[in-house]
Amino acid sequence: MSSSDSENELSNTPPNIIQLAANTTRNLLPEKSRERWIKSLSKHKTGDFRSISNRMLQLFWFGKKTISNSLSIYIKTNTGSTLSVDLDPNWYIKNVKEHIAPKLGLHPEEMKIIFAGKELSDSIMLADCDLGQQSVLHAVKIKKREKLPSQSNNSLIEEVEEEQGSKPLCEILSDLDFSTTESENSLNKSVSDTDEKERSKVHFYVFCPTCKSLKNGKLRVRCNFCKSGAFTVHSDPQNWTDVLEVKRITGQCENIPELCADNIPELCADILDNREPTFAEFYFKCSEHRSLGEDDAAVPLYLIRPNSKDIPCLACGDVSDPVFVFPCPDGHVTCLDCFRQYCSTRLRDRQFWHHPDFGYTLGCPASCKDSFITEIHHFRLLTPAQYDQYQRFATEEYVLQSGGVLCPQPGCGMGILADPDCNRITCINGCGFVFCRLCLQGYHIGDCETPETTNTDGDCSYNVDPTRAAEARWDEASRVTIKVISKPCPKCRTPTERDGGCMHMVCTRKGCEFHWCWVCQTPWTRECMGNHWFG
Amino acid sequence: MAALPRRIMKETQRLMQEPVPGISAVPDETNARYFHVIVTGPEDSPFEGGLFKLELFLPEDYPMSAPKVRFITKIYHPNIDRLGRICLDILKDKWSPALQIRTVLLSIQALLSAPNPDDPLANDVAELWKINESEAIRNAKEWTRRYAMDN
Repeated sequence: MSSSDSENELSNTPPNIIQLAANTTRNLLPEKSRERWIKSLSKHKTGDFRSISNRMLQLFWFGKKTISNSLSIYIKTNTGSTLSVDLDPNWYIKNVKEHIAPKLGLHPEEMKIIFAGKELSDSIMLADCDLGQQSVLHAVKIKKREKLPSQSNNSLIEEVEEEQGSKPLCEILSDLDFSTTESENSLNKSVSDTDEKERSKVHFYVFCPTCKSLKNGKLRVRCNFCKSGAFTVHSDPQNWTDVLEVKRITGQCENIPELCADNIPELCADILDNREPTFAEFYFKCSEHRSLGEDDAAVPLYLIRPNSKDIPCLACGDVSDPVFVFPCPDGHVTCLDCFRQYCSTRLRDRQFWHHPDFGYTLGCPASCKDSFITEIHHFRLLTPAQYDQYQRFATEEYVLQSGGVLCPQPGCGMGILADPDCNRITCINGCGFVFCRLCLQGYHIGDCETPETTNTDGDCSYNVDPTRAAEARWDEASRVTIKVISKPCPKCRTPTERDGGCMHMVCTRKGCEFHWCWVCQTPWTRECMGNHWFG
Repeated sequence: MAALPRRIMKETQRLMQEPVPGISAVPDETNARYFHVIVTGPEDSPFEGGLFKLELFLPEDYPMSAPKVRFITKIYHPNIDRLGRICLDILKDKWSPALQIRTVLLSIQALLSAPNPDDPLANDVAELWKINESEAIRNAKEWTRRYAMDN
């Protein structure tokens, strides 16, 4: 077991015999006996050295105590009961079993503790299990005879292996495993330096819906079928695909033996042979707020990774940690600040892509092929205002790509999905504007007016954002006002204002004098007269 | 004004320490985002022997947005208009934050060696370049001599 924790904590104090002794024994003795042991050790020393080192140790243990003393944990059993207990993080799983077994009416030996897809072995210290406050541990009574999932014959499970349990998932996985699919090399790579070891320890980043920001995440496992956490995996995930895609890692569910496939008693051989194995479902929790229960999940932002290789940012050239790794063949890296800037710049210029499968997204800034971000929650790194804008643009783009139209009325913009061959669009549920699908002006009869062509004088193909140019026009403000308060004559498109009276309009323009309906923006009919003559 | 991003500082430093042959880019004394650029006309091109002044500005969201570059010296080139604006894809939609000031200036120098009359910004110049290349090249040489030498 790693002693890197204690080494880090002691690194500020000068080494002495007692400390070293304390350090090596820390992992072997429960806390109380350890304290006693240190006290007795201290008695043999004399003078200043003793008192100084004693005080140091007291400080050390005191500090440790305040952080750790109460880890409030729920114990869930597969019989449906839940127990709330306060555990000491310095306890081993063996201590935990001794503590809770009597409360469940069991012997410690006939119980196994399951957490995050692993049965924890007796020699694991709670502090190394990546547990947060109010986490849930599963206590399951060991059955004497169990079937091995891979074997079809009746055979006894190897009790020895079953009782050994394993390390928690967070200790087994390393980031190296997750950065590539071929994990063999990294698995065999022995990391001697503790610093390196700490760096290669697995890190997950999530968008936490409760904290509403990017947080460190914790990987958890449950049964894909019954969603129970009393589940052990048959193998560890080797890469992100194993974690993100369903039905890749099989396991054993301890929750409802009658329901979850692996525990089906001897049914007919046919069913047993053809049944689907029980699969693990991986999910993430925020590690920075108190767990709000088993449904308190967070989205993994798996393109954000610890910068274990010190790769400089593609845009600013700085080496920072964590970084954003684009899903392109080269795995281009940007720092998170540059990623945010990249997104906000592209968003402002409406340069996001509407991808039929992934949604409104971006590719690698180095213009690599096949580099779209498929998990669009990564855009939660934008500010809330920018994310709102992102969602609005995404929706608008979706409406347009689905053959819909956006209401052209200033300040409205309602998305409307209308019949493909209907050109007279009414903004239902929106502002009520009636307009022509083709020219987006007020509805009219006959051909659309060719839009006023701005004076394009040969060389003036300079790249100007048309919306900005439109906003910057002196006359535009009054033009907008006219648009808002008027409707065009359906025949000649003369903007017409109705300042009272009935809905029967007569075009004021000499030579037109067309009779039309203010509501329908079509010729005035008897039906208009009957339905809405006066509104 | 906001602090100058480290990337701009680094790029500036490198431009000073390891200048690109035939290109000089010096930041303005009062604005570190504004560069005074001089590009020498490439050999075996109608612009050979000329010294072309350009201005280059790094907008606030550089490197997410492309630098703004413009010729100050008059030049007879189908992809550069009479205001000095340059038609070059990497300055527009093909911009990527992986590109740098030096790569942009090298691309501009390359554009001088290989004019592209099929993607013109200066229509009349492009037209002539296509119809009567030798006359266009003569014009380019004449402009180079008149505007880009002895100044």
